[in-house]
Amino acid sequence: MKNFAYVRATSAEDAVRKLQTNANSQFIAGGTNLVDRLKVFLNTPVQLIDVSRLDLKFIESMPDWGVRIGALATNTAVADHPQIRQDYPLLSRAILSGASQQIRNVATIGGNLLQRTRCPYYYDTAFACNKRQPGSGCPAIQGINRMHAIFGASDRCIAVHPSDMCVALAALDAIVEVESSRGKRQIPFDDFHRLPENTPDRDTTLQAGELITAVILPPVSFAKTGVYLKLRDRTSYAFALVSVAAALEVRANRIHDVRLALGGVAHKPWRSAQAEAFLKGKLANPEIFQQAAEIALQGAKPLTHNGFKVEMAKRSIQRALTISAQGGGVA
Amino acid sequence: MKRVMGTSVSRKDGFAKVTGQATYTAEHPLPGLVHGYLVTSAIAKGRIKSISTQKAEQAPGVLAVVTHKNRPKVFTPANDFRNSKLNEARLPLSDDQIHYGGQIVAFVVAHTLEQARDAAHLITVEYDIQTPLLEAQQAIYEALPDVKFNKGNGATGTTEAAITVEATYTTAKELHAAMEPHAIIAHWQADSLTIYEGSQWVMLHQRTYAELFGIPSEKVRLVTPYIGGAFGSKCFPWSYSILCAAVAREIKRPLKLSVTRRQLTTNTGHRAATEQTLRLAAMQDGKLIAISHAVKTYTSPADRFIVDCTATTPVMYAAPNIRLQQKLGVLNVATPTYMRAPSENPGMWALESAMDELAWKLNIDPIDLRLDNETRAHQRSGLPFSAKHFAECLRVGAEKFGWRDRPKQPRSLIHNGQLLGWGMAAATFPAMRGNTTVKVRLLPDGTVHVLTAGNDMGTGAYTMVAITAAEALGVPVEKVKVELGDSLFPDGGLAGGSQMTASLAPAVLKACEEVLQKANCTTANDACAALKQSGRAAFEAIATSAPGEDAQKWAFQSWGAHFCEVAVDEAIGRIRVTRWVSVMDIGRVMNAKAAASQVRGSVIMGIGEALMEECQLDPNSGYPVVYDLATYHYPTHADTPRIDVTFVGQPDLTFNPLGVRGVGEVGITGVAAAVANAIYHATGKRFRNLPITPDKLMA
Repeated sequence: MKNFAYVRATSAEDAVRKLQTNANSQFIAGGTNLVDRLKVFLNTPVQLIDVSRLDLKFIESMPDWGVRIGALATNTAVADHPQIRQDYPLLSRAILSGASQQIRNVATIGGNLLQRTRCPYYYDTAFACNKRQPGSGCPAIQGINRMHAIFGASDRCIAVHPSDMCVALAALDAIVEVESSRGKRQIPFDDFHRLPENTPDRDTTLQAGELITAVILPPVSFAKTGVYLKLRDRTSYAFALVSVAAALEVRANRIHDVRLALGGVAHKPWRSAQAEAFLKGKLANPEIFQQAAEIALQGAKPLTHNGFKVEMAKRSIQRALTISAQGGGVA
Repeated sequence: MKRVMGTSVSRKDGFAKVTGQATYTAEHPLPGLVHGYLVTSAIAKGRIKSISTQKAEQAPGVLAVVTHKNRPKVFTPANDFRNSKLNEARLPLSDDQIHYGGQIVAFVVAHTLEQARDAAHLITVEYDIQTPLLEAQQAIYEALPDVKFNKGNGATGTTEAAITVEATYTTAKELHAAMEPHAIIAHWQADSLTIYEGSQWVMLHQRTYAELFGIPSEKVRLVTPYIGGAFGSKCFPWSYSILCAAVAREIKRPLKLSVTRRQLTTNTGHRAATEQTLRLAAMQDGKLIAISHAVKTYTSPADRFIVDCTATTPVMYAAPNIRLQQKLGVLNVATPTYMRAPSENPGMWALESAMDELAWKLNIDPIDLRLDNETRAHQRSGLPFSAKHFAECLRVGAEKFGWRDRPKQPRSLIHNGQLLGWGMAAATFPAMRGNTTVKVRLLPDGTVHVLTAGNDMGTGAYTMVAITAAEALGVPVEKVKVELGDSLFPDGGLAGGSQMTASLAPAVLKACEEVLQKANCTTANDACAALKQSGRAAFEAIATSAPGEDAQKWAFQSWGAHFCEVAVDEAIGRIRVTRWVSVMDIGRVMNAKAAASQVRGSVIMGIGEALMEECQLDPNSGYPVVYDLATYHYPTHADTPRIDVTFVGQPDLTFNPLGVRGVGEVGITGVAAAVANAIYHATGKRFRNLPITPDKLMA
């Protein structure tokens, strides 16, 4: 860890102003991922701007417009919130399947969006890593890549996004609110995280000087059928091998609407638009779910050690859709 | 007299531990303490072409930067287990050669940890890289004649056999992952050295430092009152320990080094991966005709460590023909070391899996197959077992579990859409004991003070010592004050090989008896009265306990059986262990609560081995790709079922005066096999390569 200056922001405007005072500044809120990274020299900011005291802890219901969650609401607060549990059980379950209770109590929603991959090659400065040091190489490609991407990877980076919550947010078409000295803007969730391409050092489309202030959950009438299925090497406190967020609206045994997103497979939460398009209007039955799973995994490019993810994702999709079609619940 | 031994006594150190008052190694406050940080190799084989330390030396707060070019001088210890023992025979920084990824290449000392860590990251190393040997298949193996054993006509005696099973079983490279990371504080005062360091063997640790620095052992004090888990990894000084102690002498300040979670993966040992080929041949009625067990393991170029997987094979099952072979390879992998039942656990994984395969093939209940081939003597030494209640373990376990009622066919138990499976396996571990000495003082107010250098690595030794003294003197456990883990106290032997209780308790008993003899009283009450009357401050006795001639007449062994249920969601590769029954014969149970806890901990560790634990190495750099407790998976509470533990048997009075054999390790043997055997019953699929992760289950 390098020494850094620590300052507290008094407001969102103050936070973005302070960010401009030094090019090598970073916001810190819960710090559950950033502090770990600082300790192992993945980030060496000159200045940390503590935004944790800003008035962004709200979880507010917007009449006819879903729920607006402040960026500083903790993971626990969101997962346990009665309205989230009732209207967006998928989000609650996704959050509860990640990290540990202690971490969730401190980690914020905004921070969760910005947590970085746990690729072991990224995580140790002894290895080269294009995400950490652009142009240095990606030893994961020839290395142990059991946990890595099967979609959207590049020859520069095969890392996956670690968040469970973000997979649910992708399925729910959430909107990310950000603020900077240039004003406020809203980013559709699918546009928030990005694929590695030639610049894996950038995880998101956030622009310089922007602060996440809130996440909006639009109303999804059938979100109550939402399912989050996470497969991992142990039952708690492990990142997903594959995860699926799914929700179905079934009317008279026919699929009226659907949401389907995968985690643990790409550099961003992986929304399966083609599978969704296929499912709409079809009968809700195992054959259709199987075909949807095949479509969702079309174009998957497994690496040396993660070929199992393709079949695991297909079966998980079928399982999640089956449970959602029955009205949802624990997967 | 109220009996204390065998009851459930809460740990004496529990309050201190949960309130943070127990002082672990890295927590000893010393004035003027400075901090060290390791720099480790990013390649697995080659030599250091150049190492640039200038920036680090000039960084704020830096007191020393040590590399192979300016390494502190130490003497080469005898390294013979008697005078001294190192985990790595190669001394740290002894040359420019790199033998494994993560090997120490430099050591930085600064006023604060942050300064040392920062400076460590300013060091750059240029290597001449050579291609490392990382895969067990690539290693050149030597046969180990000491481990070889033939009985009858070895493996050839199988022609008459009706049924044979032959298969290869593997275990993965596992980490100890103790909650307390390895740490050391070295404090020189003139020519005397005080070491604060987790140590399972206090006096040997002390003697080893004395040899390293060419000073008499009285000049070294080792302090290790609390250890947050060791599992075999804290037996002797590691290379980091030697460096820290040596540099502390040069800079003339107390120096602390706390090994990072990342660096623990290569600098504090691991359980070596194994490859074992088992061949069992039996007659149709289940009588074994031949057992062949051939093992390959590896060591690092820095030391020679052998995982003797065949150790328990001639113990468990009787056969007229036995052939045991072991080969050792050298890989560019960090040095392995002891880890909970180091030989017995991997050995029993293979043997108990093969026995299950044989039982299915013969269509015999696996319990009956084990009973039909039970041993009465150790087939290697020929010595009869002093006590053996293995059959009772099987019988009681089967009853508690409801084993005999199970549907026999694989894939026949279905619950909530999941396949259930039941599995069982045997457990065994040798009983050992060593020389120990204990000092007991009885004070006029009834306080009993027990002192010994033997230590408590979290197992419950404080409480066990107190129970023994309380029983011997007829005083409440609360009145016994136990001090452990300091080389100023009498030699308390080794906390390893499950032998601390068996070694220490007899010495405590003897010292207490001598206290009463000195007081010329039959009870502690009378002795206290005598003290008060005479004005004498205390009755004191120092007693020693040592194994006798019995070891030449008997084989001493603990026994057990595990029964478990798994639920497998086959489509998505998800598995839960849902039920567990363990029955153990460990001789006398000293503390029912602590003993059951030891078995539970063992079962949890074994479930980890079976289903998730693996430290994979990057195939190019040889550096582990696990780096913390989130990426090295061992069981969480959610992975752990209720574990029902029962003890059977009698005090093994042939073994020692208390009849206690120890319980730290027997519980883990057979666990992985029980899980895999249950998975076979659930799915009809036989898994022979650990860990059995979701991707393998689903395939």
